[in-house]
Amino acid sequence: MSVDDALAALPFIVLAGGAVLVGALARWLRADERSWMLLAVVVAFASGVGAALIGGGADGLGGLLRRDGLSVFVVVLAAASAAATALLETAHRAHDARGGARAAALILLCASGVSLMASAGDLAVAAIGLALLSVALAVLARPRHESVRGSLPYAALRRSAIAPLLFAIGSALILADTGSTRIGALASTNTVGQVGIALLLAALAQTMALVPFHVLAPDIDAGAAAPVAGYVAIVGRLGAFALLLRVAAAVTASGNAEADWRASLAVLAAVTMTVGSLVALAAPSARRALVFMAVAQAGVIAIGLASGGAAAPASAFALAVLVVLVGGAFAALQGLAGGDARVEDLRGLARRRPLLVGAFGVLTLGLAGLPPTAGFLAKVYLFEAATDARLAWLVVLGALSMAISAVCAFRVLLACLGESVATVPGRTGVATAVAVAAAALVLLLGLAPGPLRDAVQGVRF
Amino acid sequence: MIVTAIVVVPLLAAFVCAMPVVSRAARPLSVAAGLAVAAIGAAALLGAPDLGAPDLRTSWAPGVGAGYVVAVDPLSAAFLMLLGVVFATGAAASAGVGHRRAYFTLWDLLLALLAGLFIARDLLLFFIFWEACLVPVGILLWAWGGTGRRSATLTLVTRDLLGSASLLVGIVSIAVARGTLDLDAIAARPIPAGVQLLPAILCLGAFASRLPLFPLHGWLPRVYVAATTPLAIVVAGGLATSAAYGIVRVCLAIFPQGMSAAAPVLVALAAVGVLYGALVASRQDDLRRLLAFMSLAQLNLIALALFAATATSLRGAVLATISHGLVIGAALLVAAMIARRTSSFALSRAGGLASSAPALAALFTLTTFAAIGLPGTSGFSGTVVALAGAYERFPAATAVAALVFAVAAVAGLGAVRRAFHGPPLASGAELRWRERLLVVPLLALVVALGVAPRALTDRIGDETLPSVDLGR
Repeated sequence: MSVDDALAALPFIVLAGGAVLVGALARWLRADERSWMLLAVVVAFASGVGAALIGGGADGLGGLLRRDGLSVFVVVLAAASAAATALLETAHRAHDARGGARAAALILLCASGVSLMASAGDLAVAAIGLALLSVALAVLARPRHESVRGSLPYAALRRSAIAPLLFAIGSALILADTGSTRIGALASTNTVGQVGIALLLAALAQTMALVPFHVLAPDIDAGAAAPVAGYVAIVGRLGAFALLLRVAAAVTASGNAEADWRASLAVLAAVTMTVGSLVALAAPSARRALVFMAVAQAGVIAIGLASGGAAAPASAFALAVLVVLVGGAFAALQGLAGGDARVEDLRGLARRRPLLVGAFGVLTLGLAGLPPTAGFLAKVYLFEAATDARLAWLVVLGALSMAISAVCAFRVLLACLGESVATVPGRTGVATAVAVAAAALVLLLGLAPGPLRDAVQGVRF
Repeated sequence: MIVTAIVVVPLLAAFVCAMPVVSRAARPLSVAAGLAVAAIGAAALLGAPDLGAPDLRTSWAPGVGAGYVVAVDPLSAAFLMLLGVVFATGAAASAGVGHRRAYFTLWDLLLALLAGLFIARDLLLFFIFWEACLVPVGILLWAWGGTGRRSATLTLVTRDLLGSASLLVGIVSIAVARGTLDLDAIAARPIPAGVQLLPAILCLGAFASRLPLFPLHGWLPRVYVAATTPLAIVVAGGLATSAAYGIVRVCLAIFPQGMSAAAPVLVALAAVGVLYGALVASRQDDLRRLLAFMSLAQLNLIALALFAATATSLRGAVLATISHGLVIGAALLVAAMIARRTSSFALSRAGGLASSAPALAALFTLTTFAAIGLPGTSGFSGTVVALAGAYERFPAATAVAALVFAVAAVAGLGAVRRAFHGPPLASGAELRWRERLLVVPLLALVVALGVAPRALTDRIGDETLPSVDLGR
């Protein structure tokens, strides 16, 4: 095993090793939930910093693991959101010690799956990463009441197996067609291989929660904590985004499946934006509104994926902004309403928690792409790339659905005003800190997008 | 750097208002911020040096070619003066408002955003100010408004966001076609005449729904009724003004041929809107709804003059926009004073007020004269210049719209008669000096502009206005 092999595998090894360590130690050591979460924060942070410091370089394991701008970018984002989620969970304290250790291990395991998907140069590696991610997510987002005795939620698990299954079948078809599982081999597919590509797209669309595949995405139960809900909304998209870009690079290189690939993504984007924003508008609960605003935003990112290679940096910009927005908004919701509330029950919170509501407002409005947040610039960059790629109809649809999303954001934000009837959760220090930091970051990036834009220039295919 | 101060001063005021220690000083501070904006606008209009040229050019969002470019020309300066006066008056009228810190913070923030809109010389920067305005307006309307405020807020926000979405698509298409969003750079390389129509309509979508152009006016009466009086003044003098400015600065400047091609339809819509507004106004009992429809008539008249786009009609439109902001602002203030005495905005509950409050009657009568365009007021000069200019290109539509003088007179004078004459149904105290102090400066400006309109129009040079005549 050469140095390059080790470096390419390092983020995965650190994250998965951390998960195993937490899981193993929890058997022997008595420690409270907070300690396990802090350990997870340290592990995730270390892997993120490590990945950023190592940077791009030669591929490892004979091309099985790539180490380029895309993998570094996605691994850093996944590690950062894992660290932030674990940090928020320390304040949440909904678990007993065992549950805390298990949640910490699962958070790390999801991130390790994403790191495999992000650096996969081979469909087999990607399938392993996808399976790891899907199962870990399903258990992490499982209904709270089913976890009492540790029984596995079989329905959720069965559903979580669908995406890896589709991916594996697709890979098998491609292997039968081209004789290779390398992602680069997608460039030389015939009919059978193209059916395989379609299956890959279906699997990744489910992981990215694109409509109509979102019905198979992990269901965030009302009992799950808000930080975890935010994490579930983010982390699957990160992995799916990386793999979609890798597959798109190979498919685009061949030319014979490119038109179909882009048309499929364009249709998925159109349906996702429309349905996501409309469902968000009608959502009775604040969390559901946020989840579907994120779905709509993922649809906007899919516009970038449909627009070809030149749009990759714009999509990556939007993805990074989406991670900050969704993570911050769910943190704010955790502080405001203890995770979830009907929209009308938010009333009066603006007076009780002005700072938190301010941050929440910035983040939800950013999620709907309102200026001067970075969400607006992300939208503009994507629209520009799509107009360049002659997808003006998608831009019109995207602008309209973002307007509907913005109405929804206004609805949630304005609901926080008025005379106080809402009950405020007691301690909200960590949630406030994370939400305010995210809101400040989003505003800062909206006013000075240069650094992030330079950082995503390396994300190409 | 002095141009940037137009945004920074109100922003600083907003910041100070948010501090807990100075909540008593919030209102005077907001009045001062409004007056400061008006003063800078006046200085620029009177020809202060180094305000005309863009003073700060930095690339800010590379990739789409957006930059931070701000400048003040006479057109911006005229609107900035109106904006400052309207905001100062509104802040002064906001005595006794609840939750002062939050209110005046949002108030000054709104002033900063609208002021930024008038000085932005980059389309993306313009759009940011344009759309960000909605946040303070929405919160002010939702949290401080009266009956029906929630549906009014959601209607306003929804219409405006949909309009903005269409503007954004237009801006993105320009960015892709030209690689820059600097207005001067776009003007230097005009967009080919054949492909102007579609982006022109896309951009116009936002301006038409905020102005509002008939038939997109559904939010206007609801907002006038639901908003507090200061906010209604700002909606009339700030938001609607920003839409008129946008039509001149963006649509007419970038797409002269496209707007020219669409003009017949747009002018017809505007002419219908003028008559519709005036006719509906004459059937209203609620004084605020009456003013809303009078305002709609005037705004559509402004739109007509803008769409006709001759050198005269554009100057008339600028004059009429400023007159509209001042007159409707004064009328809303007087209406609130009447309502304070009769406990209702309903005209049927007022009557014979002239005997107990003669000064109030005088002020309302003068305001009404200005609103219906009697000579000697800015309402007359603005309307006449606008119509005279538009007549050169669209005589039929202009002739129809000119009937507004008669119909609006029925509505306005009917209101005067019902509120102040006849049997005294209500009696109210005479105006206090504080109340007079609010309205009299506005009316003084109205009369000044009516007597000497050229003081304003002559300062708006040909180089400031889009050269639509040449494009035709």
